[in-house]
Amino acid sequence: MSLTAFIQILLLGLALGGIYALMAIGLSLTFGVMRILNLAHGAFMILAAYLAFWLFVRYRLDPLLSIPFMMGTLFAIGIILYRILFSRLAGRADYTHLTILLTFSLALILEGLMGYLWTGIYRAANPPYAARSYSFGPWYIPAGQLYAALTSLILLSILWLILYRTRFGRAVRATMQNRIAAQIVGVDVNGVSMITFGLGLALAGASGSLLSFLFPFFPSRHWQWIAILLALVVFGGLGSLPGTVMGAFTLAVISAYATTLAGPTWSSALFYLALFLTLLVRPQGLLGKGEAP
Amino acid sequence: MGNWATVREHERLESQLSIRTREIRHLVLTGLLAGLLLLPLLQVGNRGLTYFLHVMMMTFMYIAIASSWNIISGYAGYISFAHPVFFALGGYFTGALLVFIKLSPFLTAPIAGLLAALLGFGVGLITLRTRGPSFVIGTIALLLLARLLLDNWTWLGGSNGISLPLPNLPPHLFKLPFYYGLLFAAAGAVGLSYRIRHSRFGLGLRAIAQDEIRAEVAGIPTHVYKVLAFSLSAFFVAVAGALWGYQLSYLRPSAFLTVGMAADPLLMCLIGGRGTVAGPVLGAVIVVALNELMIALLGSTELNLSAIGLIMLLALLFFPGGIIGTLRERGRLPRWLDWD
Repeated sequence: MSLTAFIQILLLGLALGGIYALMAIGLSLTFGVMRILNLAHGAFMILAAYLAFWLFVRYRLDPLLSIPFMMGTLFAIGIILYRILFSRLAGRADYTHLTILLTFSLALILEGLMGYLWTGIYRAANPPYAARSYSFGPWYIPAGQLYAALTSLILLSILWLILYRTRFGRAVRATMQNRIAAQIVGVDVNGVSMITFGLGLALAGASGSLLSFLFPFFPSRHWQWIAILLALVVFGGLGSLPGTVMGAFTLAVISAYATTLAGPTWSSALFYLALFLTLLVRPQGLLGKGEAP
Repeated sequence: MGNWATVREHERLESQLSIRTREIRHLVLTGLLAGLLLLPLLQVGNRGLTYFLHVMMMTFMYIAIASSWNIISGYAGYISFAHPVFFALGGYFTGALLVFIKLSPFLTAPIAGLLAALLGFGVGLITLRTRGPSFVIGTIALLLLARLLLDNWTWLGGSNGISLPLPNLPPHLFKLPFYYGLLFAAAGAVGLSYRIRHSRFGLGLRAIAQDEIRAEVAGIPTHVYKVLAFSLSAFFVAVAGALWGYQLSYLRPSAFLTVGMAADPLLMCLIGGRGTVAGPVLGAVIVVALNELMIALLGSTELNLSAIGLIMLLALLFFPGGIIGTLRERGRLPRWLDWD
């Protein structure tokens, strides 16, 4: 592999890594703060992708511009779901276990509804930039991927500012570190949990808008997405946000090289292998602390 | 003194009761088994029972799967979405032997079961090292990895699938060997589940489900127990997969390795009662019957998946113990259904 090709693949891998990081960060946040393992995260991403797709086809609304709308809608869905389903279970010893079963049920409900409404046909939005690409020197990057990666970076930066520069963010981090201690020092743990769950789904919504023009999708596609995202979250360290971002970039870059060498068919296998290798060698993941809770 | 007499009297009554219960249960079970063994004889004379036998076979298959799944995910409380992998392993392993070296799946099914147990052991060793959700994530990854492999392995037919030669039997007797084979798999799985439930091992698994840290402190080798439970829960699923695949005479990844297949045992155990011996059996019977009814009345649409999800969600929120658990809580569980 020549140096030019090496750098080219690195570029594409990094762009992909930014997108994966945005997709996975909501999942990681929800688990870190509430110990909810949201198996429906991918299904909500696909739902948002469908909404973005139809907004684009019907009203010519650019998927990038539909992001605020999608985030608002999914935030509201998240708040409602949290109040109906999860708040009543809070504090039970088998909480995480129950959330796995509940979110799995939710994913099935969503998949069935999407299949019923929109059939199993492959879809992909094609805004004008989907076919364009920027080149500089011997390298190029597709415009869609560039915009998506930049959008992801902006959203991740905003999230970072919220978490590390606001009172609410402090409360979220405190809850992540130790729920009971946070409650003792006066954090409204339930309120924080509800808003964080909404935020997690809002991030799935933003990811869905990007997904709609980057990757072809159909209802049952969300299983592959959730498997890949969970794999990279475990790889980075369950419950660690910096770990998730690092895991996303690392695996995306490796998979970009693997795709060039072995073809696109096996690129998702790499994520599963990384998962099993992580559990074998270092179960707490790259940046996880001690035993996974 | 008076107190002791009362206690003795109570114990005497209790043991009498349990002898009677056991007798009744024996009678019910023997009767049921005899009935099921003799049922196909009707087909030899009558020939009109093919559909009925088919539904019975499907019920046996699901009893084997749900009872096996219950060992790791009911008793030990670790949800597995990887059971379709064991099912597919059974189908594809015996199917390949049939196609390439003409060995009957009826002979190789137990080997497939052992292979699945071995796979479960290996995967369990890796994914069950920690408490928490690593295991369920690992099983999802395993399911999708298996699907990826089978979709792309052209020597096993890839995503188009591979067809198997059928056994040489007159059409109206065709289903009989499969009927008995799957009945055997179901009985084996329920027997295994019963033996585990009434052993120290089973007690340890239930302790793990309730509070793993305490179980570990109490001296239970939790890692070994969990891995063994996962491994044992794979065996009869692969046996059922071998027979079911042969019976379909056509193996295709999209018929074996789907999330719907992964949801089935969960749904059945939630309805019947997770962590009980009779729950998965009851759940399998109910779900198969309901499913046949729904398809006959409404046809099969994407919304079936939503219905499954909705039923699971409602069961989780309002009847977490399923039928068996809810009846027991209210003290109305009939004795012949109480196998715990």
